[in-house]
Amino acid sequence: MIVAENVEKRFGDALVLKRVNLRVEPGEVVTILGASGSGKSTLIRCINGLEALSGGKITVDGHDVSTKAGLVAARRASATVFQLFNLYPHMTALGNITLAPIEVLKLPKAEAEARARALLDKVGLGAHAGAYPQQLSGGQRQRVGICRALAMQPRYLLLDEVTSALDPEMTGDVLRILAELADDGTTMVFVTHEIEFARHISSRIVFLEQGELIVDLPTAQFFAEDGGLAVPRIRQFLSKMKKD
Amino acid sequence: MRFWRVIEPHIGFLLQGFALTIVACLLAIVGAVLLGALTASMRSSGNRWVRGTANAYGDVFRNVPFLVQLFFFFYGLPELGIYIGAFETGVIAMSIAGGAFVSDVILSGILTVDTGVIDAAKVSGLSRIKIFTRIVLPIALRVSVRPMGSILINLVLTSSILSTITVNELTGAAKIVAATTFKPFEVYAVLLVLYASLTTLLSFAISAIHRRLNRFMMGG
Amino acid sequence: MRYADFTPYDIVLLLQGLGVTLALFVGTTLIGLAIGLALAVAHHYRVPGCRPVIVLVTEALKNSPVLVQLFLVFFGIPAFLHIRMSPVEAATLTISLNTAAFAFVVFRSGIESIDRDQIEAAQVFGLSRSQILRLIIAPQAAAFSVGPLVGILVNQLQVTSLISVIGVFDLTKIGNILNLRTLQPFIVWAVIGLIYYLAAKTLAHAGGRIEAALRKSVKWGGI
Repeated sequence: MIVAENVEKRFGDALVLKRVNLRVEPGEVVTILGASGSGKSTLIRCINGLEALSGGKITVDGHDVSTKAGLVAARRASATVFQLFNLYPHMTALGNITLAPIEVLKLPKAEAEARARALLDKVGLGAHAGAYPQQLSGGQRQRVGICRALAMQPRYLLLDEVTSALDPEMTGDVLRILAELADDGTTMVFVTHEIEFARHISSRIVFLEQGELIVDLPTAQFFAEDGGLAVPRIRQFLSKMKKD
Repeated sequence: MRFWRVIEPHIGFLLQGFALTIVACLLAIVGAVLLGALTASMRSSGNRWVRGTANAYGDVFRNVPFLVQLFFFFYGLPELGIYIGAFETGVIAMSIAGGAFVSDVILSGILTVDTGVIDAAKVSGLSRIKIFTRIVLPIALRVSVRPMGSILINLVLTSSILSTITVNELTGAAKIVAATTFKPFEVYAVLLVLYASLTTLLSFAISAIHRRLNRFMMGG
Repeated sequence: MRYADFTPYDIVLLLQGLGVTLALFVGTTLIGLAIGLALAVAHHYRVPGCRPVIVLVTEALKNSPVLVQLFLVFFGIPAFLHIRMSPVEAATLTISLNTAAFAFVVFRSGIESIDRDQIEAAQVFGLSRSQILRLIIAPQAAAFSVGPLVGILVNQLQVTSLISVIGVFDLTKIGNILNLRTLQPFIVWAVIGLIYYLAAKTLAHAGGRIEAALRKSVKWGGI
């Protein structure tokens, strides 16, 4: 379980997250919605320990990410997929996926590679194991990014605007893979602008407004007239996203 | 041709000197890269003292003539009870001088590594040392091939100075040939052309290596 | 004198050596910059037959060891042409040409980096070739070139230590003498190194100030 309690994050004078509370149970798909700059990505980066908290506490399966040992354990439990892929440019797709399993999980090389190839096959990139990131399209790179995260067999998958940098066709490929993962019961925390997709796969949706978590509802209620849509700010946000 | 007539009887001896030059430069570039990588990692450290020490090393060895550094080691090491040959002393001095320049190159290479890539490595649970040795350093080294090549070329030119401490590398061998033939002009003219050809060839090779190593990294 | 300790007179020796080093450095820098600039101008105006020769010679000078160049000039040329050459003459000739080769490259790219449009605009205003060179290209090329030139000169200052090998009594040669006399290599070479270090730092600092001033003046010139 991921638990965020009264999480605060400051950058200089700016308070980017204000007393945010969030729980993610195993098996859930939680989508974080909000305008640009609302703190969505920062919340993800606090959960995986890329940003130090200014206040509050985050635990992943009981491991406090603000302690050294806790962070190591929390990072074992979770894996992150990034908006800009952040693949290792000097390694092939296979190398990208097997690095952490070999170095961190201490898997034998052959086993790590077999697992990586199986993942690549699953996302339709079986033929590209030896390709370098620069030789792949954006959608292909992001699929490698997903494989790299899954290779760590994480209990929680953190997805930070993973389709924002992709063309619409490529977005479809990536979303299909994520839908399959959701069906398989993978626990996901999902920051996205793809409202329809979020509605389709999420079990819960939370809404961030200027660093404050103002709504946390099961998906159906979030989109109900007497639920999330009753909040003017959310109605406004959703209609704006539809226009875009 | 008069130049060839002068050189020809001594070609074997000169080739020996040439081989020694190559060996010295190869050993020195390895030493310089190891020392440079260590210094660069120290210079990107959070600790003020570690950073200061590394910076001071780079600063001193870049602003003192190599000849003076060489004499310092050549005459100084026996004082410390360290008796090593002139060749070894020369290689050590070249490694230390080269390392100061290499650390600059690697450090700027390190700064070009995308922070997002480092983020990805961090969240995957890699240790700081693994992130440095498996991600940051390899990327930095790839983008550093060209400037590193200039340093290697400079080491080749610098290696001629080892002749002043009795190492008979190419220049040292040529000195002996010039003295025995009484034809210094011919000998040194050929030597100059040899060095210039060698360094020019090297720079072509470096460009080729740079293109090959970076073919998948620069989008080209 | 045998295995003697340091004496106060050694300070004078060091200063003498430093004087020789600095005099030779300043002399070869002035000559080298002048030749380098002349080469760059000749290259820019495509003086017939000049380009390949200039490029070949400067590349050869940049890509071969200065020590070998010194040997060629000091031992080779006198033997070949049957003339006499003192160590100081050979050192001056060699280091000047070497500096010229590096300066040429800097000046050439300085000239090239100036927008061609500006030159065309000046031609429209009816400025002559020499006026364009003097009034437009020179000040800007100078401003562009100072940074890299300072780097080259800091390097050339260190290169001058090699002239001790052909017998010029520069700072390094004084180091050799003191080293042999006192047999205290650590102290001797550390002191010699420190003096070179301070000279290099002073030079780099002065160069930085000149660069800043020149950039300012070019900006204010409002070309």
